[in-house]
Amino acid sequence: MSYFGGGNQQAQTINPQNIAMAEQELEMVTDLFNRIVDSCQEKCIKLGEGQGDLNQQDSLCIDNCVAKFFETNSKVGEKMQNMSQQQ
Amino acid sequence: MDPSKYNQAEQEQIRALIEQKQVSDFMNLFTGLTDRCFKECAYDFRTKAVTGREAACVQKCADRFLKHSERVSTRFAELSEAVSRTIFYVVRKIEFIY
Repeated sequence: MSYFGGGNQQAQTINPQNIAMAEQELEMVTDLFNRIVDSCQEKCIKLGEGQGDLNQQDSLCIDNCVAKFFETNSKVGEKMQNMSQQQ
Repeated sequence: MDPSKYNQAEQEQIRALIEQKQVSDFMNLFTGLTDRCFKECAYDFRTKAVTGREAACVQKCADRFLKHSERVSTRFAELSEAVSRTIFYVVRKIEFIY
């Protein structure tokens, strides 16, 4: 008698829809992250100036920028939600 | 991305997917950074050689950008839980309406 019984075999079926969903979520999150890095670098960091390190002002700007971006994201999400409700 | 939603085999496949993505993300980071720092630093085209000043600029540029990216990554992790809640909510609403 195998220790890997029949029940275990069934649990190993891969639902392609789940994979597709996870892949989509992964894409979304990566895309969001990259956009934040780009936008906040434009807003906050002069690449050619300063030292090799980030100073306090740079760091603070980054923290605030990321927070603002998320909030903007939320507001846009709310807006779209309201629009779809009105239809 | 909640691991408990997926069974073992699915989790394995998703893990492989994530690894694959990390490789391509790293490549994009590398090419993007080269591009950025070239735009920022290269200016003397009377010569093929990278001048001392340009080289120092590139070092600084790459340093700053990578530190910036690291910091964004930390803050992102802290805040992204709130985002996935919003996105999930909006998507559900849209699904319901249509």
